[in-house]
Amino acid sequence: MNPGSKALAEFVAEATEILDALARDLLVLDERRGQEADPDLVNGIFRAAHSLKGLSGLFGQERISRLAHGTEDLLDRLRLGKLLLDGAVLDALIEALDAFQALLGEAARGTETEVLSGRVDAMAARLASLGAPTEVSEDDPLDRLELEAQVRSVFTEYEEHRLRENVRRGVALWRVRAAFDLSDFDKGLAELNARLKPMGEVISTLPSAQPGGSHGIAFDLIFGGQVDSAALEAGLEGTPAELSPLGVRPAVDVVTPALVRAAQPAVTVRQGAGKSSAAGAGSEKAPPASRPRADTGAGSELGPRESGRDTRGGGKATGAPGTAASSDAADTTAATSRKRREDSSDAPTRDAPDVSAEPRRADAESSSPTKRSGGRKRSSRTPAATPSEEQQPLLPHLSSDGAAQGAVDWPTSVSEGVAHLDVSDPGAPASPGAPEPHESIVPTEPSPAPLVAYLQGAAKASPKGLSVAPSPPAAGPGSAPAPSVGSPSAQTSDTSLRSLTQTVRVDIGRLDGLINMVGELLLIKANLQRLAESARQDGAVALSKLFGQELARETRGLERKLEALQEGLLEARMVPVGQVFDKLARLVRRITREAGKEIEFVISGGEVELDKLIVEELSDPLMHLIRNAIDHGVESPDARLAAGKSRRAVVSLRAEQKGNHVVIEVSDDGAGIDEVRVREVAITRGLITFAQAQEMTRRELLNLIFQPGFSTARSVSELSGRGVGLDVVKNNLGNLSGIIDVWSERGKGTSFHLTLPVTLAIIRALLVGVSGRTYAVPLNSVLEIISVQPRDIRTVERREVLDVRGQTLPFVRLARMFALPDRPVSRYFVVVVGLAQERLGIAVDELHGQQDIVTKPLGGRLQSIRGISGATDLGNRRTVLVLDVAALLEEGMATERRRA
Amino acid sequence: MSRFSELLDDFFYRPDEDVTGLHDFAAGSDGVRAIAPEEVPEEYLAFRLESECYAVPIRGVREISKVPPLTEIPRAEPQLLGVMNLRGELLPVYDIKVRLRLAERPPLVAGPDAPPPPRHARILVLRTQTGPAGVWVDGVVGVVKLKPSMLEAPPPGMRTGDKDCVVGMGRRGPTLYILLDAEQALAP
Repeated sequence: MNPGSKALAEFVAEATEILDALARDLLVLDERRGQEADPDLVNGIFRAAHSLKGLSGLFGQERISRLAHGTEDLLDRLRLGKLLLDGAVLDALIEALDAFQALLGEAARGTETEVLSGRVDAMAARLASLGAPTEVSEDDPLDRLELEAQVRSVFTEYEEHRLRENVRRGVALWRVRAAFDLSDFDKGLAELNARLKPMGEVISTLPSAQPGGSHGIAFDLIFGGQVDSAALEAGLEGTPAELSPLGVRPAVDVVTPALVRAAQPAVTVRQGAGKSSAAGAGSEKAPPASRPRADTGAGSELGPRESGRDTRGGGKATGAPGTAASSDAADTTAATSRKRREDSSDAPTRDAPDVSAEPRRADAESSSPTKRSGGRKRSSRTPAATPSEEQQPLLPHLSSDGAAQGAVDWPTSVSEGVAHLDVSDPGAPASPGAPEPHESIVPTEPSPAPLVAYLQGAAKASPKGLSVAPSPPAAGPGSAPAPSVGSPSAQTSDTSLRSLTQTVRVDIGRLDGLINMVGELLLIKANLQRLAESARQDGAVALSKLFGQELARETRGLERKLEALQEGLLEARMVPVGQVFDKLARLVRRITREAGKEIEFVISGGEVELDKLIVEELSDPLMHLIRNAIDHGVESPDARLAAGKSRRAVVSLRAEQKGNHVVIEVSDDGAGIDEVRVREVAITRGLITFAQAQEMTRRELLNLIFQPGFSTARSVSELSGRGVGLDVVKNNLGNLSGIIDVWSERGKGTSFHLTLPVTLAIIRALLVGVSGRTYAVPLNSVLEIISVQPRDIRTVERREVLDVRGQTLPFVRLARMFALPDRPVSRYFVVVVGLAQERLGIAVDELHGQQDIVTKPLGGRLQSIRGISGATDLGNRRTVLVLDVAALLEEGMATERRRA
Repeated sequence: MSRFSELLDDFFYRPDEDVTGLHDFAAGSDGVRAIAPEEVPEEYLAFRLESECYAVPIRGVREISKVPPLTEIPRAEPQLLGVMNLRGELLPVYDIKVRLRLAERPPLVAGPDAPPPPRHARILVLRTQTGPAGVWVDGVVGVVKLKPSMLEAPPPGMRTGDKDCVVGMGRRGPTLYILLDAEQALAP
């Protein structure tokens, strides 16, 4: 599986999950049709649409992003009370969900059909124009609320709306003031919220104007209570909350002209829909009924901005021609579909019962809106659908030049965009999020098989929706009722409930369990092998020699299969490191804005795979480093110009596989670290003595920034900010058996290299013996093993070193390091370990050979043990500890430094 | 002789014994009177450390294991005897005798120089907030049911350690159980 398709598969999996959640919430809304909508629920749907927008933007799924934007916008208006949740809106939302499913289906196959693009545009336009404005009275109920103006000014729009809503409905409002201790206010606040929730609505939580004591913090919760004051007080028993009612002055009876305005919502809706679909792809300005914010017509401009996964021009270049072409094409299809709609819209209600009688069919693939309405027409009303109309959607790429052009154009420009990226940054391979180039968009069979998903929730919801509230006239082209069974293109397939992805999300703990099991199997295999060996060799066993040979052969077969199993399991744990990179890219955008810098963020190597656990643990350290780079590493644009650099700073994040390790580099072209200042700070903080400082190389000096206690808030500004909690970063990496290294040149920039093992689960280890104990050393950090006589050990400045081929090698005796009883030996084996540039010789007494081991972490209570990364089981019930090479290296180096 | 003492024991009741039923009987109650809420006995696992009898709530005990080979952890705190492998799970094993002042230093039970473990020694696997932990005991006595009325505060003399791991005493029959707070006893 190539990285691109893997990223795509991930996108589909994640998007499916979001859609599932969306469908669930919509279903609940639908069930309570006609009632007051739960604001939390609407908020939840809004958030789901928002995440979908972000996600699809990230993966360059422009159409989904566009539709999600429209949906989000509609939901935002809904949430802010600018729109009433009526049947039409709900139907539109449910249809949008259908469209999302269809889009996702195409995305999963890597195709893009014109009909669907057209449907998206039409749908987006419809969403934008949809809805009735709510009753807006000129008399703002908030004015009647006895609340200080400065408190009111801090409300978000949403909070203000909820408050207004509550005042309007005459709900008793309370100010709940609660003071908590600073140390655990979060828990206290959460508990208070949990208690309040069943009794009403917490509209807003504000820091209280009154201080909550010397180490306390107080909050004012504005609360709309559904229960009386006695019940409220009883409910808050035991919390530090104090209640005070918020007075509301009685409303003044003024007849406002605004009331008249709200009288004709249905008309507005229909007009809106008709108007925008007449305008083709909805490039018309939203009708006056909806708020100016709903600029879905401009969605095509918005899309590309979101879709680029890098902030440089690539994304933009990707979008522009593609969308131009596709909106052209969409024009055509929208026009067609409008025609259809006009054909069929005179009998929409008649269709409704017929539809509700059977579940709606999945329309993820060829069942575009046009075709669906075609099919329906034939079966229900006008059998005289022209063949050409029937065929057009079936063979979109062949029949409609414009459409095919659009579909081909878009990916081409994508690859152009990528190419552009490559030119400007030769080291960077194409980002994995980019869609596949040409071959994947070769027109496929009209109804390609089973990659169709249909949400159960939606399936249940929509027929009901249609039958309960027959509002199809307001609905746009996409809303044509579901095709009936007899439809010729035969979606008779029962694939509709299958999910889009073949992905299974598994708790990593289960994989760990399986890997452990493989470990145990390997042990059994080793025992079998031994038995076979002894059976084959000594004829003392009554069994024939032939039997021994047979056994040996079978054991070898078992071994191979076990290895394959083990490999497969490890593979299952591997995820592209790009997962983290993508999250970071989003973060970078935010930090950059906050810091007022101009940053070009370059990502490469996102396809490099690492163990899932490592990838998860990696996000915090990387975030730390990148934040440092942007906040402190990179100069302000003016300072950069003054230094003769370009205004835009480049911060890059690269991953690269090097043998058994993955190296991740975070670099910037900023001011670099001033090692002289590092030295000064280190000396003043007593981390090193002056004499030591004299001897230290530049690299050693730079590495001082990882020392705990090196950085404090104050030294941050002095030192161009480097060193914010870098010791924490280093520790985090140490837990992953990784190592961090820094390079910096003044005026040129800084780069951090993170060297990480590919997996932590199964490793090949060297077993060594010291003072009768056995330890395992991960083989991927062992460089060589040398045998030395005690007399070869030399002492340089009171530290022991070895002379290896003319180079001085720092050297520690494991027995001394671990304070084990020393046993006299005639010679030592020195295991030379290395990570990044560090080298260290570790002297042991014996070597016991190599073995694949399953490392188990030392677990909760043993976290603080230094020098041990885990333990393993070698089959004789005895646990063997696995050395943490990174920690030992560091310790060995630290000893050196101390002694110097 | 022992049988005789048992008989005696059955006949007399001790001041701390739960005799509510007897009182009812003596008062001629027919059961109509609201019965005082019955005391729910709690089960404790009793074990031996040196010659003392200790007990912990049985809810906190996951299992009891024979002593497997223990692997010492270099440079760990002294009360950590080592780690054991229990059906593939890695568990730390602790000594609590030093904390209870029953011993000067933890016994040497792990590593290649350790003697084979005593026949009755066991590892109690306790559930703690930071995950399961093994505790070395010299022998398991059994499960005892103690009602709240059988519990008393620890004598002031017991409260000497820096960490208060003795939470009380339980008396049942002739035996006195020292009740431990496992979490405290294992605190670093």
